[in-house]
Amino acid sequence: AFGFLKKHVLGNKTITEQDLNSILEQMKQQLITKNVAPEAAAFLMDQVSKDLVGSKTAGWTSVEITAREALTKALTQVLTPGVSVDLLHEIQKKAEEKQPYVFSIVGVNGVGKSTNLSKLAFWLLQNNFKVLIVACDTFRSGAIEQLRVHVENLAQLTDESHIRGSKNKRGKSGNDHVELFEAGYGGSDLVTKIAKQAIKYAKDQDFDVVLMDTAGRRHNDATLMSPLKSFAEQANPDKIIMVGEALVGTDSVQQAKNFNNAFGKARDIDFFIVSKCDTVGQMLGTMVNMVYATDIPILFVGVGQTYTDLRTLSVNWAVNILMS
Amino acid sequence: MVLADLGKRINNAVNSALSNTEDDYATTVDVLLKTLVTALLEADVNIKLVSNLRNNLKETLMGNKGTGKSTSNAQTKKLIQKAVFDELCNLVDCESEQPFQPKKRKTNVIMFVGLQGSGKTTSCTKLAVYYSRRGFKVGLVCADTFRAGAFDQLKQNAIKAHIPFYGSYTETDPVKVAAEGIAKFKKEKFEVIIVDTSGRHHQEQALFQEMVEISNVVKPNQTIMVLDASIGQAAEQQSKAFKESADFGAILLTKMDGHAKGGGAISAVAATNTPIIFIGTGEHIHDLEKFSPKSFISKLLGIGDIESLLEQ
Ligand SMILES: Nc1nc2c(ncn2[C@@H]2O[C@H](COP(=O)(O)OP(=O)(O)OP(=O)(O)O)[C@@H](O)[C@H]2O)c(=O)[nH]1
Ligand SMILES: Nc1nc2c(ncn2[C@@H]2O[C@H](COP(=O)(O)OP(=O)(O)OP(=O)(O)O)[C@@H](O)[C@H]2O)c(=O)[nH]1
Ligand SMILES: [Mg+2]
Ligand SMILES: [Mg+2]
Repeated sequence: AFGFLKKHVLGNKTITEQDLNSILEQMKQQLITKNVAPEAAAFLMDQVSKDLVGSKTAGWTSVEITAREALTKALTQVLTPGVSVDLLHEIQKKAEEKQPYVFSIVGVNGVGKSTNLSKLAFWLLQNNFKVLIVACDTFRSGAIEQLRVHVENLAQLTDESHIRGSKNKRGKSGNDHVELFEAGYGGSDLVTKIAKQAIKYAKDQDFDVVLMDTAGRRHNDATLMSPLKSFAEQANPDKIIMVGEALVGTDSVQQAKNFNNAFGKARDIDFFIVSKCDTVGQMLGTMVNMVYATDIPILFVGVGQTYTDLRTLSVNWAVNILMS
Repeated sequence: MVLADLGKRINNAVNSALSNTEDDYATTVDVLLKTLVTALLEADVNIKLVSNLRNNLKETLMGNKGTGKSTSNAQTKKLIQKAVFDELCNLVDCESEQPFQPKKRKTNVIMFVGLQGSGKTTSCTKLAVYYSRRGFKVGLVCADTFRAGAFDQLKQNAIKAHIPFYGSYTETDPVKVAAEGIAKFKKEKFEVIIVDTSGRHHQEQALFQEMVEISNVVKPNQTIMVLDASIGQAAEQQSKAFKESADFGAILLTKMDGHAKGGGAISAVAATNTPIIFIGTGEHIHDLEKFSPKSFISKLLGIGDIESLLEQ
């Protein structure tokens, strides 16, 4: 799609702002068609411009090609996480101290929190951890039953003899490896109560990991967002993961910012999961928007509706698609 | 709200452009177009649509020779507002004829389709409540056998709203459940039967095939595509694909209580020539509003009295 970048095989030319103007404008438009927010696209163009104005093109290389390379670099920089985290190792360390490792999953309505939480559970089960899934979405109809179905499925996947609907030795949905912790539907007081009880329960029952699902909420509504802060203070999760969906357009910038700010000055979101990447073709811009807005790394991308559809992000893959 | 602050921005742009008496008409138009383009792109309107709209507007506004110094600012402002109004109206399909109305004492089947998580199941119940309050005998059918907990979700909503429902915990074929649900409610002389289906996307062909099969047994009088107001540039592709396979006749735009401007959905309207008829404004069963594109746009442009504008 970047076919407008015609090749002038000259090289060794000092690049001026003027040389770049129309090239940058076209690259920006291309990024917008890939669902990069205008704001994020403008930021990237700034990076390219800073990188190039005053520098010389390499021999046999046009300004266009040079600009393209600079954009590839800028995109790679945005998407590459600053610190790498070996989650499995961290969980293992805590497990050895008999402490459960706690995740809470947050995000706006319908983005895929519960589904991707279940995918995370599958990944952890495959790594031989014992997982407690906690139904902290006490608001949306069917939210608890949805998790129960996932727990049943995961129990069957880890233990073929598991019979659907049967209870484990503690009388709960699930088996020895994965279990559902729930206390029905109710208000936000109930949510914090469940979270605290679940963590205690996980510790007593030797679970390695606690995965807390939360209700979807509008990031522009303070009455929905403010309970997140006290929830995080009370439950004190090791990691807060925000799920954002690849389908969202420019609002992804504000979604990421508002969720990140919801936990107060002392606490940030730790990771993103960008879901529904299988539904957008080449329009992977949401990833760029969310990371650009917050500098928070992408832990996984969701690429489908089954348990194995969770991948680590290949930055090269994403950048290539965004540049094509 | 869709393009909520767009109206303000356009009005500000028009006012400030006009108050700057140094500028000639062409400059005024240029400044205005720039503002408009930026605002539309930031609202997720498809980039091709934006560029078309820009060209059309430029042609209309620059074609009006004699405007400028000789006419008053107020007249120029009206002229610009009307041109912008017309173009935005084209985008949201103000012209479409009377939307589907269910008929009393007849079976009216409404099928919901859409992307994953867009708000189908929630909106199904909202619409059921809407028609039920208008005196129809309404039933809900859960033809989503895929999503975990889908039937429980619909069931709990339906019970809260006192709407009869049909679904199955054991049957895995949505076509079969849909057929059974329709048959049951038809026999019991229900007037409006609303069918909920799983979320799907055009990249997965089998899912689209399934949607066509459900549609074939359900024989909907109206198919509604549910779209999330925050959808970005993917709106055009997805909605076109849904149009080709499900031939939906209306769009229901959800999560309008959010912060998103809904430009993606407007692109879907333009790509499929299908009007938005309802908007969802919250998670509760009464958070549904009828949508009328024309009055909406006049409101957003801050034009109180469209008729006088149209007479110009
Ligand atoms: N294609 C695709 N669909 C996904 C993906 N992740 C989740 N989904 C689907 O998105 C829909 C919504 O997923 P949920 O997990 O219920 O979303 P949620 O964020 O928990 O929703 P609420 O709790 O209602 O806010 C379901 O139909 C999922 O199957 C993904 O990576 N790809
Ligand atoms: N704020 C807000 N939330 C909404 C609205 N409509 C739906 N939701 C929420 O969006 C989420 C997804 O809604 P569902 O009705 O489950 O979506 P769906 O299209 O049936 O999802 P799948 O069946 O998984 O494809 C839920 O958390 C709903 O409460 C709305 O108008 N406003
Ligand atoms: Mg959920
Ligand atoms: Mg549903």
